[in-house]
Amino acid sequence: MKKTSTNVLPAEGGLGDEPLLAVDDLHVEFHTRAGTVRAVNGVSYTVGPGETLAVLGESGSGKSVTAQAIMGILDMPPAVIPKGQIRFRGTDLLKLSEEARTQVRGQRIAMIFQDALSALNPVFTVGWQISEMFRVHRGMSKSDAMKKAVELMDRVRIPAARQRVNDYPHQFSGGMRQRIMIAMSIALDPEVLIADEPTTALDVTVQAQIMELLAELQRESQMGLILITHDLGVVADVADKIAVMYAGRIVEQAPVYDIYKAPAHPYTKGLLDSIPRVDQKGQDLYAIKGLPPNLLDLPTGCSFHPRCPYRQDNCVTDVPPLYEISGTRGSACHYWREVLDGDQQ
Amino acid sequence: MATSSERILEVRDLVKHFPLTQGILFKKQIGAIKAVDGVSFDLNKGETLGIVGESGCGKSTLAKVLMALERPTSGSVKINGRDIAKARGGELKRMRRNIQMVMQDPYTSLNPRMTVGDIIGEPYEIHTEVAPKGDRRKKVQELLEVVGLNPDHINRYPHQFSGGQRQRIGIARGLALQPEIIVCDEPVSALDVSIQAQVINLLERLQNEFNLAYIFIAHDLSVVRHISDRVGVMYLGKFVELGKDTEIYDRPAHPYTQALLSAVPVPDPEGREQRERIILQGDPPSPANPPSGCRFRTRCWKAQEICAQEEPLLQIRPGTGHESACHFAETHDVVHVG
Repeated sequence: MKKTSTNVLPAEGGLGDEPLLAVDDLHVEFHTRAGTVRAVNGVSYTVGPGETLAVLGESGSGKSVTAQAIMGILDMPPAVIPKGQIRFRGTDLLKLSEEARTQVRGQRIAMIFQDALSALNPVFTVGWQISEMFRVHRGMSKSDAMKKAVELMDRVRIPAARQRVNDYPHQFSGGMRQRIMIAMSIALDPEVLIADEPTTALDVTVQAQIMELLAELQRESQMGLILITHDLGVVADVADKIAVMYAGRIVEQAPVYDIYKAPAHPYTKGLLDSIPRVDQKGQDLYAIKGLPPNLLDLPTGCSFHPRCPYRQDNCVTDVPPLYEISGTRGSACHYWREVLDGDQQ
Repeated sequence: MATSSERILEVRDLVKHFPLTQGILFKKQIGAIKAVDGVSFDLNKGETLGIVGESGCGKSTLAKVLMALERPTSGSVKINGRDIAKARGGELKRMRRNIQMVMQDPYTSLNPRMTVGDIIGEPYEIHTEVAPKGDRRKKVQELLEVVGLNPDHINRYPHQFSGGQRQRIGIARGLALQPEIIVCDEPVSALDVSIQAQVINLLERLQNEFNLAYIFIAHDLSVVRHISDRVGVMYLGKFVELGKDTEIYDRPAHPYTQALLSAVPVPDPEGREQRERIILQGDPPSPANPPSGCRFRTRCWKAQEICAQEEPLLQIRPGTGHESACHFAETHDVVHVG
């Protein structure tokens, strides 16, 4: 891919009208031997300082690929970004040179991964791995960087940090490992933190601890947080706004209270309806029919139409745009009014 | 409660310790992982017992001991009055027909080199008396139909199916020998949200159709509530609370149950700032060296001296209608899950 790349780093300080991070009409394709997988098909979202955006979706919906594109950690090839912008403080990251990108990655936009055990290097101590951030990006000496690592481990509330700094990842429990991941990601005070399913591998009690820790860190530093998850409960707990993804598109985007009160897309509605509720005991749960689509061969028109109870003829042919419902809310369904009013067709 | 004549499974004082050894040539035991440490419960025909608890609390070991895949250190597992833990050879094989398992991960629990027909039909190879050779194909096709798959797909391989469909294959395999008990170890946790509801509905339909008894192990508390008649809460190898679903969820008496329930995020943002949240500190202690007395006392906000000295028994406590293992058991409606 030939692009004019620049070394101009994103500005610091005031934001003006520009959001902190804006993904604009992003497309990501993977060229494989079986064909072209269109993983992300025109995703747009923004996140501001101190704001929490939850990206909700099932496996294969493109939520993690979008995050990897923001971080610039997609393997290219096979991945290709044919279209779109990722603007961080007004600068399009996709146009930056690789050196400039490295300056942003980890320092100003950081990421937490789902499986902390495989994300950490098993042959280095956790202290070494955390302090690496300071050595590489800040050029600190080994001993200074190690001191900072202990401070960070304290900050993410790892008990007896000074004694444990020389332990290896396998000596920690799952929750503690995730804390170490968080310590690494916040080491350089990033402005945006992307958390990709940070608690999926953890027990609910530990999940509650980690989510509380993230919320506290966010309050202290006013980071923008992109929380990628499939858990409707976690989203309801912490998100300010939600983007629901399906087959590489955002199908609904709204402030958190609106979406739980009255979803405006049949897929969101189906997800919310399939949560077991107390008064449904002994009855069948509502289940979304059918299977998630094959990304090699997406359905025509609206990707959700084969599973949709609201389907009409034009859904099979016309791709619905993200209709604006209000200033902060959108739904990619031709019949969002009916869904919002709750009339099953 | 059902009468004892319908009782199908009786578990008494079940203990499973895994020895910790030291030395290569002369192995000497230096301790034991107390994975399951004194569990007792009953299960009736057509009933579902949900088992919840954090990872490492012994849920999956319990399932393996029930299936006689692991021999218990002590205690008994009686199926229709006969102890599977003591059964050997032909008797064990016959008893195993009656208790089958659905595994957590439909991606690794199906052999990728076998066709669906071979996978579901394999139990008939071992228990040849259930279906004579000529009938097997027809039986497998019937099973595929029962779990909502196309009977014509009998010659396909697991990779040609999605996660939800694979879990249906796993369920069909569990049903092949017409067992009375099915142990489901996290049957939906590997599936996408929109597919979970389909599989839960299927499990419920099969239960009604065949009067199956389920041991349903899961960490998703709202799913457990939906499917279970009774729920047992496990902590470090023991039940800390056991009762009907409404008792456990609406009137939990043990502090651990209360903390567990309050940690579950409620899928409704309304009033999220006011919600009561008990956040446990730290991780569960090691099952190799559990705390004295009550095992939960190291993380409990109610702990007093007596908790370190005297182990609370699982019994009905004053003021509560169901069994709990806490000296200071007190019902407290924490949150409504789901």
